[in-house]
Amino acid sequence: MRPYTILVVDDEPTLCDMVRGILEREGYQVQTAHSCSEALQRCALTPPDGILLDVMLPDGDGFALLRELRREVDVPVLFLSARDEDEARLRGLGLGADDYITKPFLPQELLLRLAAVLRRVYGADRSGEVARLGPVEIHWGSGTVVRPDGEVTLTAKEYALLKKLWANRGNIVTVDALCAALWDGVLVGYENTLMVHVRRLREKIEEDPSHPRWLLTVRGLGYRLVREERR
Amino acid sequence: MRRSVLRAAAVLTGAVGLVLVLSLGALLGIVFATGRQVDAWGVPLDQLSRGLTATEGGYTFTEGAYLSAHDLWTILIGEDGQVLWQFEKPLDVPEQYGLSDVAAFSRWYLADYPVFTRIREDGLLVVGSAKESLWRLNFYLPLRIVRQLPLWIGGSLLLILGCVLAFSALLLRRWFRAEQRQRDAARSDWINGISHDIRTPLSIVMGYAVQLEEDDALPLARRRQAGIIRSQSEAIRTLVNDLNLTMRLDYEMQPLRRTEVMPGALLRQAAADLYNRGLEERYRLDIDLPDPPGPPLKGDVSLLSRALDNLLNNCVRHNPDGCAITLGARWRGSWCTLWVESRGTGAPARIPSPERPPADGGPPHGTGLKLVAQIARSHGGTARFSGGEGCFLCELRLPCAPEQRQDSRSRRLP
Repeated sequence: MRPYTILVVDDEPTLCDMVRGILEREGYQVQTAHSCSEALQRCALTPPDGILLDVMLPDGDGFALLRELRREVDVPVLFLSARDEDEARLRGLGLGADDYITKPFLPQELLLRLAAVLRRVYGADRSGEVARLGPVEIHWGSGTVVRPDGEVTLTAKEYALLKKLWANRGNIVTVDALCAALWDGVLVGYENTLMVHVRRLREKIEEDPSHPRWLLTVRGLGYRLVREERR
Repeated sequence: MRRSVLRAAAVLTGAVGLVLVLSLGALLGIVFATGRQVDAWGVPLDQLSRGLTATEGGYTFTEGAYLSAHDLWTILIGEDGQVLWQFEKPLDVPEQYGLSDVAAFSRWYLADYPVFTRIREDGLLVVGSAKESLWRLNFYLPLRIVRQLPLWIGGSLLLILGCVLAFSALLLRRWFRAEQRQRDAARSDWINGISHDIRTPLSIVMGYAVQLEEDDALPLARRRQAGIIRSQSEAIRTLVNDLNLTMRLDYEMQPLRRTEVMPGALLRQAAADLYNRGLEERYRLDIDLPDPPGPPLKGDVSLLSRALDNLLNNCVRHNPDGCAITLGARWRGSWCTLWVESRGTGAPARIPSPERPPADGGPPHGTGLKLVAQIARSHGGTARFSGGEGCFLCELRLPCAPEQRQDSRSRRLP
């Protein structure tokens, strides 16, 4: 699978180098540009798979550049900006940016949000992603779980539940967030129904549903899916 | 500020003084004009009367030059109504007068000539000026009103004074507001500028610190140092964000995006976020909620989450040896109180005072808690901080959402 190519546009060369180091360690290929004109030239020569874009550039601003770039390429764009005002954020997102990250940021935050955007845009088909939880494989495309003893299909609610937990794997997801993911809004009093779905999901992904290894309960808060390497 | 107040006081004093002087002058003018009829056009009737002396052959008059210079004329009317003597009497002024004629011209005009009279032993002295040289206004007032005149004059003065003061106050208010807007804009620009200039370098510091911290090739001690750089950078980032938000809330530049939110969901998310940031095992988090829960709040989810975040970070920061942290909510009437409590095992928790600067004059602390108080205020609520030996408690008292038809899908997730 060809690694993603990311174009980093920022007028601060040191920042570009730092971000290059972060992304290359994760397997991305990186190009950099320090101005609007340079960014447009790079896109014209070698269209990237994604763009990290600063707002304040020496020969223009990132918002105008985004409008220009949209005429040349249709790739996901994340703003990487020192401007944290709501107006700037809303303006960037309103112009079609896929995310808006305020400086300063932790490298992990940048990587997770970039990965989430690329996943959303290019989908499982592009990466051929199959998630793995120990001996169990989760095939997102077909919504099935392949176990050593056979294959089972996830219901729509179980799929949505697992997807939400997988997107936040390693982190606690509150019962409220899970209810919102399953029922499109926060509903009071659906915690018991959620528990039922969690139990049924455990029966499909856990070796021993009574002593779960992957889908853990965090008392009083919600649930957590333990991290596993993906293929 | 002191200069502005002095300037304002000077303007007000000047305005009041001007009004008083003008009013007093007008008053004196009125009194003077109506009090002395004989001086209506500066003619001294006493002097003219003394200048006319009866002699064996007629009369002598010593004020002729005065009358000529002022374009005046005069006649002396005897008891029988006949003109006994005259000086430059116009031709259309009669020679004979009856009682009614005297009564008429004493109040108004004699053949359209404005006249004034002075009674003498030998008759009535009439002094007149040219036609249309003077406007005679005879008016009368009931005595009751005359006695009330000071009250009327005083009342009018007060009314004028009130109008001038109100106008001055409006002008001053506009002026103060313009000055304040200018100061606020300068402060906001400064903070925005500093905030913006800090962010990019801090990104670089934070990014490289993390890379060094995660570099297995480095000795453990160096990686720990890198970890300290990373955590201190995060603290600076939080401080910059808090300062920005504090400023925006102070100057009402932060619009609140109010939605209905369940307090339990807010608290659970705040706890989950703290755990997900890598809370160490020596800290224990508990949630204390009644069952069933009370009504939702109507608030800005991101601001309320920020407030809870700041409180939790404060608990962790001030209890480096670990502590038990409880988040809870309770309802009373149409108010909901969110509370965060920590019970430390180490040194007593410092209770920063978000409202008072430190007495030693040092740099202000408690920015995070000050922001918590501001967020509560912006929601129409209050924040109360208390603590004792090794414990800290913050209670955010917030209004519940007004009761509506139940539509639970409208409630927003934190």
